[in-house]
Amino acid sequence: MKSDDPAIRWIEEPKLGMAGKTYLSLFVHGMTTTVKHLTKSVAGKDVTVSYPDEEPQIGNPLIYRGVHRLNKDQQGRVKCVACFLCATACPAHCIDILADESPWPDREKYPESFTIDELRCIYCGMCEEACPVDAIELTSLYNLTGRSREEMIFDKEKLLSVFDETIETEQMKSADLGGTV
Amino acid sequence: MLSFAIVESFVKIALLLGGLMTGAAYLVLLERRMAAWIQDRRGPNRVGMPLSLINSRWADLRLFGLGQPLADGLKFIFKEEFTPGHVDRKLFVLAPIIILTTALTVFAVIPFGSVIPFGSASAETFTSVMPGSSGSENLLDARQIELVVAPGVDVGMIFVFALSSVAVYGVILGGWASNNKYSFLGGLRSSAQLIAYELPLGLGLLGVVLAAGSLNLETIIGEQALNGWYVVTQPLGFFVFLVAAFAESARLPFDLPECEQELIGGYHTEYSGIKLLLFLVAEFLHMVTMAFLIVILFFGGWHLPFEITGFHVAKSGELVPSLIDGWGSESVVLAWLQAAVRVLVLMAKVLAVVVFFMLVRWSWPRFRFDQLMALAWKVMLPLGMINFVVVAVIEELRDPGLFGVRIDSWLPIPLAWLVGVTAWVSVSHLVSRIADNRPHRSLSPDAVDSAI
Repeated sequence: MKSDDPAIRWIEEPKLGMAGKTYLSLFVHGMTTTVKHLTKSVAGKDVTVSYPDEEPQIGNPLIYRGVHRLNKDQQGRVKCVACFLCATACPAHCIDILADESPWPDREKYPESFTIDELRCIYCGMCEEACPVDAIELTSLYNLTGRSREEMIFDKEKLLSVFDETIETEQMKSADLGGTV
Repeated sequence: MLSFAIVESFVKIALLLGGLMTGAAYLVLLERRMAAWIQDRRGPNRVGMPLSLINSRWADLRLFGLGQPLADGLKFIFKEEFTPGHVDRKLFVLAPIIILTTALTVFAVIPFGSVIPFGSASAETFTSVMPGSSGSENLLDARQIELVVAPGVDVGMIFVFALSSVAVYGVILGGWASNNKYSFLGGLRSSAQLIAYELPLGLGLLGVVLAAGSLNLETIIGEQALNGWYVVTQPLGFFVFLVAAFAESARLPFDLPECEQELIGGYHTEYSGIKLLLFLVAEFLHMVTMAFLIVILFFGGWHLPFEITGFHVAKSGELVPSLIDGWGSESVVLAWLQAAVRVLVLMAKVLAVVVFFMLVRWSWPRFRFDQLMALAWKVMLPLGMINFVVVAVIEELRDPGLFGVRIDSWLPIPLAWLVGVTAWVSVSHLVSRIADNRPHRSLSPDAVDSAI
């Protein structure tokens, strides 16, 4: 390749001024950045959360995607109508619903069993989006742990108990909170 | 009396070894914490006293991570020490031993304080704080203990330099014996770098030696206590020495021998377990040595201005007055107090320099190897020579012999700073033009090809 080849784009490096040549600006610049961060951290303004000691602040629990819950209505019945929209929308195929005829007059079906494999779930929130009656929701519980795989497969009772656990701090979605109903 | 000297030496060696190893371990913790803080993290803050190991009902104490050095040491000792099959076994074992031995032996001549009184204090015995001048017989009969393992070594600085040159062998042997390209490159880089920067280091030192008239580190401190710190009178020399000290201890921005991003770990890539620990401790001790040298040569060692530390340097039979008149008075308590203050001042200064080393680590990017060499040979060497000439001229003028004129004692300081700034600016301007070896449009095609 010749130096007059038109394919070569010659780039002139910017000429260093007095400050650059004497390295002084570099020195001052680097040192001020270092000291700025150091003083910030020493003053305790770092962003690290020492997790087991302090709980992280969840910005908005309504949009956080943690452990699922199955909502209950006013009479304490499960809201789900077993329409299978969540199971259809689920990209990880982790929702397993067994529908049965509803014992109540206001709906045709209800879930006889409702199982979510929490280990398979990718916490994308598509089930929540798909649900026409706002029955399934993702809570802000982030520290989900278990000692066995079986323990991590949540059945209907477990999902309803998550509702009881979290309803105090996180209200159910309604139309003005971005829900469907 | 002889046995007393031996016991005294052993006590000092034990103190120094223990202090250095513990100090190095905790400085590693400090370095890790500071690195974390500068990167907006928190650093190791968990390991304290694991009381739950004794009784499961007791809670562990964290103590800001002060147990971390112990945990690190235990980890290094109990980890598998793997020796790869392709290494040269003898040299592989020898390298870490050499590097740690030299790093520790250097401290034989480095004072870690002034003197401490021993036995009964009297005015006559404590007049001289100029060790070396009176030698070791002073130490035996005057009942004062100099806080240096080998007091009165008149070739102190040469000893330090000789041993830090031997330390390069540890690095080269480690790189060579590893039989690994990365380690070998690290060793090569290290040898080139350390040899290149010994010249500016020596030139920075020469000005100090010329002004102090001695290679003895304790005498150099005494001279500074009398005539002012050399960082004020020889700014250029200090600068050259500082940069060379960074390069000699292979700290960022000069850590090319072991830069992780390029050479994995450099010369200690193949090492593990306790051998790796020896390398790491030795590297850290090099930094501490350099911090000690910077403080002793340029920041007056244990001396603080306004006679806070007091100085009783017997010069021409006169005692220079001091605030805490410990050495001259009958009070042993005051003498001890002054000795303690001096040790504390020295340690505080060394700690400040070490913290500066740690701050610089995260402030500047690493030099490229050609830039490193250009800096050594084209910038630092001329600057060091200019400083040497200036100091020689000033010292000659201070002593009215050659020109028959005597300049005022304050005049050399602005002169030295003026020369320093001028030399710094002019050398940096000249060199930035010389060091540009990038391909240019104006070059011939062949030249461009070879440049690329």
